[in-house]
Amino acid sequence: MSVTDPNAAPMRETAFSVRTRRWRELSATILSNPTTVIGLVIIVALLAMAVFAPWLASPNTPDPYQMPRDWGAVRMPPGTPGHVLGTTNQGGDVFYGVVWGSRTSLQLSIVVVSVTVCIGIAIGSIAGLVGGWVDEALMRIVDVFLSIPELIFALAVAAILGPSFSNIILSLCIVFWVKYARIMRAQIILVRQADYVKAATVIGDSKFNIFRRDILPNAVTPIAVQATLDMGNIVLVGATLSFIGLSESGIAEWGVLVSEGQAGIASGRWWASTFPGLMIFLWALAFNLVGDGLRDALDPRTEGR
Amino acid sequence: MNVKVDTDGTVAHQDDAGDVLLSVRNLRKYFPIKDGVLQNVVGHVKAVDGVSFDIRRGETVGLVGESGCGKSTLSGCVSGLTDPTGGSVHFNTRGRGSAHGPLDEGDRIDRMDRATFAKYRRNVQMVFQDNFASLNPRQLVVDIVGRPLRVHGIASGTALQEKVVELLEQVGLGRQHLYRYPHQFSGGQRQRISIARALALDPELIVLDEPTSALDVSVQAQILNLLNDLQAERHLAYLFITHDLSVVRHMADRTITMYLGKVVEEGPTQDLFETPEHPYTKVLLAAKPDLDDDPDVPIQTLAGSIPDPARPPSGCRFHTRCPVATSTCGWEIDDIVRELETREDLFDKLVGVDRKSDLEATLTFSDSAAAHAVWEAIRSDSVPETMRDAIETLDVRDGALMVRFAKPSAIELREVGTGHRAACILAGE
Ligand SMILES: Nc1ncnc2c1ncn2[C@@H]1O[C@H](COP(=O)(O)OP(=O)(O)OP(=O)(O)O)[C@@H](O)[C@H]1O
Ligand code: SF4
Ligand SMILES: [Mg+2]
Repeated sequence: MSVTDPNAAPMRETAFSVRTRRWRELSATILSNPTTVIGLVIIVALLAMAVFAPWLASPNTPDPYQMPRDWGAVRMPPGTPGHVLGTTNQGGDVFYGVVWGSRTSLQLSIVVVSVTVCIGIAIGSIAGLVGGWVDEALMRIVDVFLSIPELIFALAVAAILGPSFSNIILSLCIVFWVKYARIMRAQIILVRQADYVKAATVIGDSKFNIFRRDILPNAVTPIAVQATLDMGNIVLVGATLSFIGLSESGIAEWGVLVSEGQAGIASGRWWASTFPGLMIFLWALAFNLVGDGLRDALDPRTEGR
Repeated sequence: MNVKVDTDGTVAHQDDAGDVLLSVRNLRKYFPIKDGVLQNVVGHVKAVDGVSFDIRRGETVGLVGESGCGKSTLSGCVSGLTDPTGGSVHFNTRGRGSAHGPLDEGDRIDRMDRATFAKYRRNVQMVFQDNFASLNPRQLVVDIVGRPLRVHGIASGTALQEKVVELLEQVGLGRQHLYRYPHQFSGGQRQRISIARALALDPELIVLDEPTSALDVSVQAQILNLLNDLQAERHLAYLFITHDLSVVRHMADRTITMYLGKVVEEGPTQDLFETPEHPYTKVLLAAKPDLDDDPDVPIQTLAGSIPDPARPPSGCRFHTRCPVATSTCGWEIDDIVRELETREDLFDKLVGVDRKSDLEATLTFSDSAAAHAVWEAIRSDSVPETMRDAIETLDVRDGALMVRFAKPSAIELREVGTGHRAACILAGE
């Protein structure tokens, strides 16, 4: 038997509603911006497409990420029964490529963003917290990375690693962590001198707890914005690398499809490139719209005051 | 009362040492100034430069001085946030009501063992000026105020919550505020939350770094009253830092005036306000037309700018701005250079300063006319008369100007009344 505090139950309820209030307020701000809502709608549609891919376009090859080949129906225009968006030179169903390409893109962007965010937060935190020559050395590396345009750098790395889809992921991971490291370092340096960090020190809390409770939560918001923008940018850069032949041919990836279909454009077979191209555009646009909306909603000048 | 400081910074002897909670001895904090790609140290900002004082149990010590004189740096050293460059901070961790001798080496916060240092941590808390920045915006009040209790394993769960409610009630807030974020409060309420957090560990000393400077006048008064009530209830000691002289007068038992990293005057608040001995304190007080009038009028800045704390004036640091400076107050070669800096036409022609000491140097100019003009200027009325009086030799030959100053008097804090000390050669005369 335990003695229960009469105030405990309603308290916990309030605690929950208060703890979630920030998210509710944030969502309200985000949803009040029409362009952000458009972006969100597109993202939800694209995600639904990725999730329901096996039902939208059922695979008939052992590896669903490979384009199915129907040699009896090559170069069919859109509207052909069984091939709503037409087929490619090799008889690949464009609709199948569009649908399964969303899965490929989602994998690519989620893997690259999570890996680079982790690397960036780790390196940026070390630089900002340790300081001194460690900081100097890390930031010089960051400067070197940032002096080369992302696309060209990723292209060079991917070319060295050799053409394959996983090498594209690897090269994007190598290129995209730098911005996070720089943002994180600047944030850490800003937040670590806040009075609440001093107050926590005077209380006697450990350095690790102060980092976890005070510094990290107050430093990561700009990372979330950048990560959202990069969800779009990574697919764009990845597709570009695929387009110039750094991926494997025959996989259901939008960049590869655009690349393989472009030869037919001159002969009037526009569909094999256009639909996947449109998807890349939509994907990048949607995440950029939401990223911008998030940036405005999280603006420190308005948020939380 | 008589406080002597040994050369090694230990506290040698005090009359009522049994009551001393905190002793600061010859404390220094220099910040390196770095320059260039290699970040070479090119000098030091002497933010705190040889400060000694005591705080007794239950006492409020006010600390005043212009912006940048080192008040916050000093408070950081006292509360263990900043490691001093030199000197020591001693704290009595033996607890309330304990009988004990004078504070000694074992009470130095940088030499305490873990357990003693933990006691020191519990006993010295802080409240900051910026009530928004001092609370983590991502934490609820219950977590902010309860955190010290959790860190030191004093309470958890429901007991912790009840303890937090108790603390909130002591600062005029209540149970209904437990689950709110800092941004949902007014500035005064946020400062109350900060105070509740500082009280959580039942400390003996709270360092208040301009706790009311960011608040509206009416709210200021409420917070000051709250602090006074809490002090009476809990026998707290305060180190109260402020720009606002009327607040010090209202709050402090003793007041310390700082100038450029040094204590220039210290004494019972009433004595210091009624018979200020140091010209700097006098200027500060004179700058306030009526102390009881508007408590929000800040200390008016003095004529002339604050000297660079990386290159503080020698002798009495105040001599460059002191309205009553004498010829032995510390005039030096730098004063001539500073004077020249205001005369661009001549300063441009200065090509070198060959120093033998702070008091003796040869200044080389690109043409002899310039050297002559400077010689003329120093001999005429364009430099303070007392500075001219301090010059022993002044020769001009071709483009070179030889200057030597007389040795200044040693200027140290000395007793001018009971517990009242001032660092000025004119003090007590
Ligand atoms: N971390 C630091 N690094 C370098 N210089 C510093 C640092 N902190 C303070 N200073 C310098 O030390 C001097 C004293 O600063 P401090 O903040 O202690 O002054 P203050 O009396 O509290 O001023 P204010 O009234 O404006 O708060 C200033 O010249 C300041 O520029
Ligand atoms: S010693 Fe006294 S008189 Fe001389 S400069 Fe300093 S404050 Fe002024
Ligand atoms: Mg300050």
